[in-house]
Amino acid sequence: MEPITRGITPAQRTVPPLSRRRLLAAALTVPLLLGAAACGGDDEGGSGGKTELSIYWWGAEKRAELTDQALALYTQKNPDVTFKKTWQGNQGYFDKLATLTAGGNAPDIFQIDDNYISEYAGRGVTLDLTEYTGNGKLDVSKFPESLLKYGEVDGKLAGIAMGENTQGLVYDKTLLSKNKLPEPKTGMSWEEFIDWAANVSKTANLPGTQDASAVYQALWVYLRQGGKDLYAGKQLGFDEADITKWFALWKGARDKGATPTPDVIHEGNASDVSKQLVATGKAGTSWVWANQMPELKKSTDSELGVIAYPGDPSAQWARASMYFSAFRGSKHKDVAVDVINFLANDPEAGKILGTDRGLPPNLDVRKQVADTVSDPNMKQTIAVQDELGKKFGPNPPTVPPQGHSKVRSELVRVAEEVVYGRQTPEQGAASFVTAAKAAIGQS
Amino acid sequence: MRQGAVMRQGAVMRQGAVTVTRGQALRLGALLLILAVVLYPLVWMVGTSFKSPQEIVNNIGLIPRTFTPGNFSDGWNKFDVGFGRFFVNSALVSLMTVVGNSVSCLLAAYALGRLRFRLRGVWFALMIGTLLLPGHVLIIPQYILFRSLGWVGGDWPYLPLLVPQFLATEAFFVFLIVQFMRGIPRELDEAAVIDGASPYSIFRHVILPLSRPALVTTAIFSFIWTWNDFFRQLVFLSDLKDYTAPVALTLFIDSSSESAVGPMFAMSLLSLIPVFLFFIAFQRLLVEGINTSGLKG
Amino acid sequence: MAQMPVRPTDPASAAPAAPDDRGPGRRVRRRRENLAGYVFLSPWLLGLIGITAIPMLISLYLSFTDYSPLIPLTEANWIGLDNYRRMFTADQSYWHAVQVTVTFALVAVPLKLAAALAVAMLLNRTMRGISVFRGLFYLPSLLGGSVALAIVWVSMFNRDGAFNSFLALFGIEGLPWVNDPDWALSTLILLAVWQFGAPMVIFLAGLKQVPVELYEAASVDGASGWRKFVHITLPMLSPVIFFNLVLETINGFQGFTSAFVLSNGTGGPVDSTLMYTLNLYIAGFVDLDMGYASAMAWVFLLVIGAITVLLFNTGRFWVHYSDNEER
Repeated sequence: MEPITRGITPAQRTVPPLSRRRLLAAALTVPLLLGAAACGGDDEGGSGGKTELSIYWWGAEKRAELTDQALALYTQKNPDVTFKKTWQGNQGYFDKLATLTAGGNAPDIFQIDDNYISEYAGRGVTLDLTEYTGNGKLDVSKFPESLLKYGEVDGKLAGIAMGENTQGLVYDKTLLSKNKLPEPKTGMSWEEFIDWAANVSKTANLPGTQDASAVYQALWVYLRQGGKDLYAGKQLGFDEADITKWFALWKGARDKGATPTPDVIHEGNASDVSKQLVATGKAGTSWVWANQMPELKKSTDSELGVIAYPGDPSAQWARASMYFSAFRGSKHKDVAVDVINFLANDPEAGKILGTDRGLPPNLDVRKQVADTVSDPNMKQTIAVQDELGKKFGPNPPTVPPQGHSKVRSELVRVAEEVVYGRQTPEQGAASFVTAAKAAIGQS
Repeated sequence: MRQGAVMRQGAVMRQGAVTVTRGQALRLGALLLILAVVLYPLVWMVGTSFKSPQEIVNNIGLIPRTFTPGNFSDGWNKFDVGFGRFFVNSALVSLMTVVGNSVSCLLAAYALGRLRFRLRGVWFALMIGTLLLPGHVLIIPQYILFRSLGWVGGDWPYLPLLVPQFLATEAFFVFLIVQFMRGIPRELDEAAVIDGASPYSIFRHVILPLSRPALVTTAIFSFIWTWNDFFRQLVFLSDLKDYTAPVALTLFIDSSSESAVGPMFAMSLLSLIPVFLFFIAFQRLLVEGINTSGLKG
Repeated sequence: MAQMPVRPTDPASAAPAAPDDRGPGRRVRRRRENLAGYVFLSPWLLGLIGITAIPMLISLYLSFTDYSPLIPLTEANWIGLDNYRRMFTADQSYWHAVQVTVTFALVAVPLKLAAALAVAMLLNRTMRGISVFRGLFYLPSLLGGSVALAIVWVSMFNRDGAFNSFLALFGIEGLPWVNDPDWALSTLILLAVWQFGAPMVIFLAGLKQVPVELYEAASVDGASGWRKFVHITLPMLSPVIFFNLVLETINGFQGFTSAFVLSNGTGGPVDSTLMYTLNLYIAGFVDLDMGYASAMAWVFLLVIGAITVLLFNTGRFWVHYSDNEER
C-alpha cells in the first residue's frame, strides 16, 4: 500500500505563511461587509393610519390560542391596529429573539423572563416604561408593589409582569395519606422539614424530598431568611459562609436519608417540569414555582399539594413569571405600550388569558379570574399563592443582574459536586462564590 | 493489489491444509461473538421501539411480548409539528447538500487535479489545510455572518447549512475527487487537446463521465453525513417547523418521562432507516469501493 | 467527520503533465487554461474566503471582545486578553472540559484502533463471509454519530437500562452509569469504540498489501505468531496505523453529539461529559458569550494544529514506508 501521509506533510509546511497573507488581505473587507449588513432591515409596518405590531412569545399551543383571542379583542376595539404574531416553544426562543434583536428587527412587543431581562435592558433593547406609568398610559395601580418593582432594571421599568408566581414546595398527597404520614406545613423550619422528609423516606420507602442544594430559588429564600440576598445590585448578596451552611444543611439531609441517591438528584435538577421527581414518582416533594403545580399534575396520578418553602415565608416574594417588554427601537411605541396595558389590565382580556402565564398581575383581574377557575389544582394554587401573598415581607428582591442564568447553572454544577461527594461543603462554597462572581462580572 | 489478495488467499489455504481447521472455527466463533455484541444495541433498539411503557421497564428481552405500534403514531404526533415535517426537512437539507457538494467539489477538483494555472500549488495546499480544520472553530463567526445577512431563521432557514456546501467547503470531497481524477489517464485529455478541445469541453466530455464513481461516493457520504449531522443544524435552526430530524429528536430528551421512551425510540429508529437503506444499497461501494476505485492514486 | 479511507498523494508528484508545450498555440492555450482554472476554482475560492478565512478573522477579533449576539458587531467592546485570562485562570469548567476531552481522546482512540486492528486481523484470515462481516462491522460507523443512536446508547446505560438488566442476570447490581460522574464519560468512550468499523476497513485494506512471503519466510525461521505480528504486521501496517491515528485523534477531540445527548446539553453530571466543543457551544449559544467562545475556538484550533504537527513529527520515528519512497 502506498504511504498514506506523503501528501499531507509538505502541504502542512506551506499552509501557515500563505494563509496568513491571504487572510490579512481578506481582513480589510470584513468591517465594510458587516457594517452594511447590521444596519439593514427597517420596514415600515402599515400605512394610512393602520398599524401592524409585531409580537413574539414562547409557549405551547394553548397559550397561542388564548393570546390570539386577547389580541383579536384588542383589534376589535382598535380596528386600526393589527398584529403580526410569532410564537414558538421555549427551546430556541431566546436564540431567535437575540437574532432579531441584533439585526435591529426586534419585535415591537416580546415576552421575556428574569433570566434575560437585565441582559436586554442592559444592552438598551427594552423601552423604559416609567414615562408611561407616569402619564397614565400604562396603568399599574392595581399591581402588587413588589411585582412591579421586579420589572425594574437600573431604575428603568424594563418589562411589565404578565404573571405572578412564588416559590412552591409541591408534595405528593397520595403517597402521604397511603402511608398515614402528616403533610408538611408552611412555616416549618428547614430542620423540621428535613426530619419530616427523612421520616417519609423511612416509612414510605421513597425519598422524602428532592435535594434542594442546586435549586437557586430555594437558596435565595434561605439567604433572605438569614438577612442576606442572592444579589445586592450587581454584586453577590452572600458570602462563602452562607453557602457553606446551605450545602452543609443538605449534606445533613442526605446523611439522614431524606433525599434520593445522587444520580436521582441529578435527574431532578433538570430544568424541565416533567422531570421533577414528584412528577416522576422518585421523591415525595419537589422545589418549583407554585404556578407549576397544575403542570406537574399532568405527569402523575397522585394528588399534589403545594405550600411555601420551609422557614419564614415572608422571605418569599411575588416574582414575575414572565414579562412583556416593548422594543426601544419600535416605530409604534405608544401603541405597543397600549397593547401591553390592555393585556395586563383589561378585565375581558384577563378573563381570556386566565392563569396561563401565572396569576394575573392586576389584582382586580386576578380576583375575577380566581372566581371563574374550575380546575381544582389551579384553584388550589391560586388559594395558596393568595395566602402567601399576604405574608410577603416589605423588601422584595430586585430583578437579577446580567449573568443570572450562568449563576444558576454554576450552582447546579457546584452543588452536584458536593452531592456526589467530590467536594466538601466548604470547597463547594468557595468555588461557587468564585464562579458566581465571574458570571456576573463582579471583580 | 488484487493479485496480492489472491496470493494471500492461496497462502492461507496452504497453511490451513497443514494446521487445523479448529483455528478457523475459533476465529469464526470469535467473530460471531463480536458481531453479536456489536449488533445488540441495534436489535435492542428495534425491539424497544415496539414495547409498551411497562415492558420497557420489565422486559429485558429483545422481543416485545405485545407489539405496541402505537409508539410510532405517538412519537409522530408528539410535538406541535408532526415528525413527518422533520423528516422532509432533513431530506431536503441532505439532498441539497448532495447536489451542492457534488457540483462544487467536482469543479474545484477538476481545477486542482487536472488544470495548470498560476498558484495552483498554493490553493491545493490551502485545501489540504482546511481538510484538517475543525468545523467547530468557525461556527460562531459563521453564525454572526449568516445572521447579519438575514439567513438565520429567515425565510430560507437552510441557507446557512447549504451555502457552504455549494462553495465546496467540504474539502474532504474535493480531495477525494482530485485523487480519483489523477487516476484518469492523461492521454485522454491530451488527445482531446490535440483535437482542439477547450478545458471546458474536456471537462464535459472526458472528465465528467469518467468521474462518476467518485461522484457517487461523494453523493452517498454527503447524504449520510448530513442526515446524521447535528451540530450545525442545532446552531442554525431556531424554528420548530424548520427543525431537522436530529434536532427534533433532542426534544424528546427534554421531556423523557417514562411513557415517552417508546415513542422516542420509535422516532429514533425511523430516523436511522434512510442511512440503513443506503447501507444496504451501496454496501460494496461504501466499504470496498472507496478503498480501491475511489482513491486509486 | 472524515471517516473514509483516504490515500493522499503528493501534489507535486502528481502535477498534471503539461500538454505538448511546443507548437504554435501554446501561449494561447496556457492562458486559456489559466483562466479555466480560476473559473472552475471560483466557487471553492469564494467559500475559502467567505466561509472560512473571513470568519476565522472575525473570530480572532471577537476573542478580544465581550461580544454578545444581542448587539451589532460594531458595538462589541475591546477587552484585550481578558477572555484568555479568564479561560486559563478563573474558569473551572474550562479546565474540566480540557480534562474530559483529553481523557476521551487518549482512551477512546487507542481502544478503537486496537479493536479495529484486532477484528481486521481476525477477518483477514477468514475466507468465508468476509464481506458480510465487514459490512456489518462497518454499520455502527455509519449510524453511531447520530442523535438517534446516542439516545439509544444513553438509555442502554441508564439505571434501569439494558446493560444493568444484563448484569442482573449474573446477580450484579449495576450503577446509574450515565448519571454517575465517574462513569458517564466511559459510556461515551464505549460508544466511540463501538464504531471501530471505519478504521477496521482501512486496516483490512492495509493487511491485504502485506506480502505473504514475509510471513512464510518468518514461519520457516520458526517465528511465533506474536513475533510475526510485532516484526512484520505492525511495521508494514504503520502507515495505515498512522493515518487512522491522525484521523481518529482529530475526530476524537471534536466529539459533540453523544455528550450533548447524554447530558441534555449541559455537560453534566458535574462536567463529567463536558467535551470541549460542547463547552464552546454553551459559552456561545447558551450563555451568549460569543467573545469568550471565540477565544475558546482559537485555543482549540491552535491545540489541534499542535497535536497534528506533533503526530507527524513523532510519526517519523515509527512509521515505515516502503524503501523506494522519498521522504
